[in-house]
Amino acid sequence: MSSFRNFVLALAATFLAPWLCLVVIPHAKMKAQEILTWEDQELGTELSYPAGTPNIFRQGQAVYAREGCASCHTQMIRPTYLGFESWRPDFGKEGNRGNPVRIRETRPGDFLGERFAYLGVQRVGPDLSNAGYRHDEQWHHAHLYSPQSKRSFSVMPSFRHLYIKRKVRGQRSDNALSLSGELDPGKGFEVVPSEDARALVGYLMTLKKDQPLPPWLLEPNEEGEENAAEDGNQTKEG
Amino acid sequence: MTDDKIADEDILRRAAIDRSTRLPVLFFFTSGAVWLLVAVIIGFIQSVKFYYPGFLDTPWLFFLNYGRSNPAFMGALVYGWAIQAGIGVAIWLMARLCRAEVKNPVTLLVAGHFWNLGVLIGVVGIFAGYGTSMEWLAFPKAVWPILLGAYSLVVIWLITMFMRRESGEVYISVWYILGACFWFPWVYITANVFIHILPGAAVAKAATNAWFLSSMIYLVLVPLGLASVYYFIPKILGRPVYSSQLALIGFWGLAILGGWTGIQKLMGGPLPAWMPAVSGVAVILILVPVLAIAINHHMTLKGNHQLVETSPTMRFTAVGASLFSIFCVLSALCAFFSLGKFTQISQTTTAFQLLAVYGFFTLTIFGAIYFIVPRLVGCEWISGSRIQMHFWFSTYGIVALVGLHFIGGMWQAAAYAQFDAPLENAVSAGRPYAIGVSVAWASIVISNVIFLYHLGLMILRLGRRGEGPALLGHQHHAA
Repeated sequence: MSSFRNFVLALAATFLAPWLCLVVIPHAKMKAQEILTWEDQELGTELSYPAGTPNIFRQGQAVYAREGCASCHTQMIRPTYLGFESWRPDFGKEGNRGNPVRIRETRPGDFLGERFAYLGVQRVGPDLSNAGYRHDEQWHHAHLYSPQSKRSFSVMPSFRHLYIKRKVRGQRSDNALSLSGELDPGKGFEVVPSEDARALVGYLMTLKKDQPLPPWLLEPNEEGEENAAEDGNQTKEG
Repeated sequence: MTDDKIADEDILRRAAIDRSTRLPVLFFFTSGAVWLLVAVIIGFIQSVKFYYPGFLDTPWLFFLNYGRSNPAFMGALVYGWAIQAGIGVAIWLMARLCRAEVKNPVTLLVAGHFWNLGVLIGVVGIFAGYGTSMEWLAFPKAVWPILLGAYSLVVIWLITMFMRRESGEVYISVWYILGACFWFPWVYITANVFIHILPGAAVAKAATNAWFLSSMIYLVLVPLGLASVYYFIPKILGRPVYSSQLALIGFWGLAILGGWTGIQKLMGGPLPAWMPAVSGVAVILILVPVLAIAINHHMTLKGNHQLVETSPTMRFTAVGASLFSIFCVLSALCAFFSLGKFTQISQTTTAFQLLAVYGFFTLTIFGAIYFIVPRLVGCEWISGSRIQMHFWFSTYGIVALVGLHFIGGMWQAAAYAQFDAPLENAVSAGRPYAIGVSVAWASIVISNVIFLYHLGLMILRLGRRGEGPALLGHQHHAA
């Protein structure tokens, strides 16, 4: 029987090392994440990273999870040596073709206060790390209700089940979707977002993973002039 | 006693052992096969929805949208089919190799029912909107204790069978089964406790998720599959495994390196850079034990390749084992930045998971099922051509599917890398490949309808009796 005991001990010993190093220690270390503070040269104020209370909309994140958004959308901007992925021409409000806004890569502190980091499985739709900058809430509601009405080439499914079609009683609701063509609910009817849809859009609007970083964490980009995070910063303020 | 008498007693003893495993093993096989059919049908649906979201998009079928059907299909495939069928093979192999009868098989049936209940709640839960969107952990949070309890019961039964073994000799397959007994609970408890229960950094949880997925492949599915390969290749050839030294290297190499893999998927992600780096190194180093395993199987088979033509078990096992080597080589290649940046977050992810779960594991387990079931029900598979169809539809299907997903994923990632092109280019780049994938899925669905039908007839004991086994191709090769 001692050979069986040795066998089990050897299995335990070989597995203990990766288990400690890749699971237990990272969990212990990251839980106690250090807050970095520094004096900003231009503004003359003290900044910190991760900054302040997280503003993530948890109920919305729960909807994001159960609808499986993470099956197609990432929230992970990789460093430039793995691809330049912080901006595209039709991403919405962030910059334009002549002046593409660079946003820094994702860092651990960006997920402060979240239950799980939905870094994503595959990138079928665009990365959502900074989706909060791109559109307003009306746009998101119309897009979730019928993605193809906003982008004809979209392969995103409709999330109509998060919306309620109902008879207009008295005045039309403020948050009713303005739909046209085939989607028009008909005279006397309106489509309004459910609690879940409002939570989901609320969550999308909070996705702004570009808090300023301390200067010593910033790596110069290829041209070595400005660095990525400062660019992100300027748009946010401007 | 004469040699004949000993041989007769031996056969009777073996038949008695086989009989004792009949109920639980057939239960795990059939319920697994039903889940497999469910999984591939949902797999087909989600593959169409991947490029055509309007498919089956009626108001009352809204729950089939890609975000829910994709994790549901993976859950059904991994937990419903793969692990369940693997448990069936493990019980049968353990009983045979330890020459120990299964005592009180009803307990195993109870465990099997609980496992199925857990998977059912899980899959329905995802469709009903209680999924977690975590890869291979997408079942609602409440399900994991049920699955863990059911698996633990099976583990206790396997270990007691091992303890009651007749001779001191421990076969290679038994190492692997004991390994899977040991690793699954550890990996599964770790992932669920650290992700669902303990508070902690969100990013560390995502890393644990990636680690869990890879550990499930390298430390649960691979050991169960290799246990089957290590038994059936020598068994059908009637000769011992080529080298026990190589087998040792293969086993301990996997044991040492398997737990380090997985996080390379998040390279460039918001994690300390050493974590993906270490995982990448492990995935590359694991080629050493994989090479040892592949050489061992190849040398055992040497000179008898015609058996791959005729024996269904041999054919499925050999193809499955080859796809295992291919999986490991591709994983190692994609651990490099130059290739990995295209494969890390694209359709290629699906290619890898299906290559491991369907390409390697499922084909190997099909081989085992074609050997085991006739010995349990006392009749032979009805038609060699049906097995042949199952084989070709499955093999062509999975090879096409993996190839298309792999290339399509690289294409898609390369299109996303062109940041100054319109979004439309990036979104539609993977589309032609995704359409091809649906065709491959259709082929896999056909193959599994044939398989489930054939298996159903066998369970109802409608198989052939009193003739030789069903072989493929030219019958005169029959041994």
